[in-house]
Amino acid sequence: MEQESSPVLLEHLFRRQAGRIVSSLAGLLGSKHLQLAEDAVQEAMLRAAQRWPFQGVPESPEGWLFRVAHNHAISALRRERSFGDKTDELIAALESNTQRVEDVDIEESLRDDELRMIFMCCHPELSQDVRVALSLKLVGGFGVGEIARIFLAEESTIAQRLVRAKRVVRERNLPLRMPDRAKVRERLDSVLDVIYLMFSGGYAAHSGEELIRRDVCLEALRLGRLVSDSSMAAPRVDALVALMALQAARLGARTDAAGDLVLLEEQDRSLWDDELIAQGFYYFERSIAGEEISVWHVQAAIAATYAKAESWETIDWRSILEHYDQLMEMTGSPVVALNRAVAVIKVHGAEAALAALAPVADHPAVHGYHLLPAVRGRVLAELGQFAEAEAAFSAALACDCTEPEKRFLRKQMELVRG
Amino acid sequence: MPKYMLLLHDDRQAWGKLGPEEMQKAVGKYLAWRNKPFVVDGQRLDEQTGRLMQKKNGSVSITNGPFMESKEVLGGYYTIEAASFEDAVKLSNDHPHIDFGTIEIREVMVRPT
Repeated sequence: MEQESSPVLLEHLFRRQAGRIVSSLAGLLGSKHLQLAEDAVQEAMLRAAQRWPFQGVPESPEGWLFRVAHNHAISALRRERSFGDKTDELIAALESNTQRVEDVDIEESLRDDELRMIFMCCHPELSQDVRVALSLKLVGGFGVGEIARIFLAEESTIAQRLVRAKRVVRERNLPLRMPDRAKVRERLDSVLDVIYLMFSGGYAAHSGEELIRRDVCLEALRLGRLVSDSSMAAPRVDALVALMALQAARLGARTDAAGDLVLLEEQDRSLWDDELIAQGFYYFERSIAGEEISVWHVQAAIAATYAKAESWETIDWRSILEHYDQLMEMTGSPVVALNRAVAVIKVHGAEAALAALAPVADHPAVHGYHLLPAVRGRVLAELGQFAEAEAAFSAALACDCTEPEKRFLRKQMELVRG
Repeated sequence: MPKYMLLLHDDRQAWGKLGPEEMQKAVGKYLAWRNKPFVVDGQRLDEQTGRLMQKKNGSVSITNGPFMESKEVLGGYYTIEAASFEDAVKLSNDHPHIDFGTIEIREVMVRPT
């Protein structure tokens, strides 16, 4: 058969386009008709998947998908006339939106559509776990199966969660527009929280599935940059982007070939992604230009301090501890206290770290959290109290944790057992 | 060399479950398969509903059908060359369509020379 030279499809093109076209269509149809927007995109992708292998990939795959999705929505509207008198008006709007594919400023306007969709997905009417899943689905173009794999949940659970979320979107008619001036701060904070939750979901070390996790981290980073380069820009957005970029840079070094966890101190720094590190420092510089200091700033400062050091031995632990002190003051979070304890070992020794852990031990928020006994075990091992350390690691193993984490804890146990 | 036809019957439900990334991966697999050296021809049939012609009580009746929503509609075909039926089956073993419906393999009869 003759070889046709089709344009090569860009990596993740479908996923990217799904998010953009749904956002653009929903912007016109309104959130009440989100389902129609999603169906239209699904249909366009299906057509492409069935035709392109035979007819070749079109010159502009993005434009093709955009047009076919719009045409599908238009025929559905003609058939169902679900908008009553307004149907014709809406069809005209969709038709003129289709023409925009040729416009030079289409990129900018699609970015605005995406932004509005992010703000809708993070609306306070939706619960937090739903916000993350909905953002991944609608803006990120992730499939239900993929989202389930990221959160180690059953596909049906995620599917139900999304159905419920979309019902809230429809019934409350959640607006697809930027928040009112009075609520900007609160709404933006909700968006940043969701973006970081998304990032953490991808960053968590689970066995296998490394590729999809990386994709989620990079998607969170992309969304952060989208917000940071928009009218919603604020120093704390830049700080969050910096934090994510600096952490994402270590993704490749964080696990070894066997999928085992590699602690920061043992990581091969040549495996860190230079481009992401550079991006991290760029956004970090931007973030400190203003007056504002947010929790994202402090966390980014910690990540930057790690990244700045040439090796584990030259890390500036005093600065890291100062940042953790500041973060403790801002959040009072027991999880922060746990991470701070590691820095305390380095600056003031293990005895002091043990004392620093004491007030955290009974905090209900870390009850059953494997990192509490794991950090305790590490401190006890430093103090030479090997039997107690072993008991702590064993307690950590009894908590909910992922396979690579379990393997890591078992290794620590063997080490203290001698 | 004997020719064989691969008739691809689509299962829309199988497609419907896919997310965008999986759809794109499927496109890649189908494209790669089409470019295999033994593939002589391959065409997709339009998704629009076709027409069914039948003779009923002496006159030709034309109705719409089959509908794409119905299960296992013929969606496309390939013609391949293979030494034997066994070979044709072996060559088609890794066809990506197996995840999205049924593949019917039939030998094309040729006029004896």
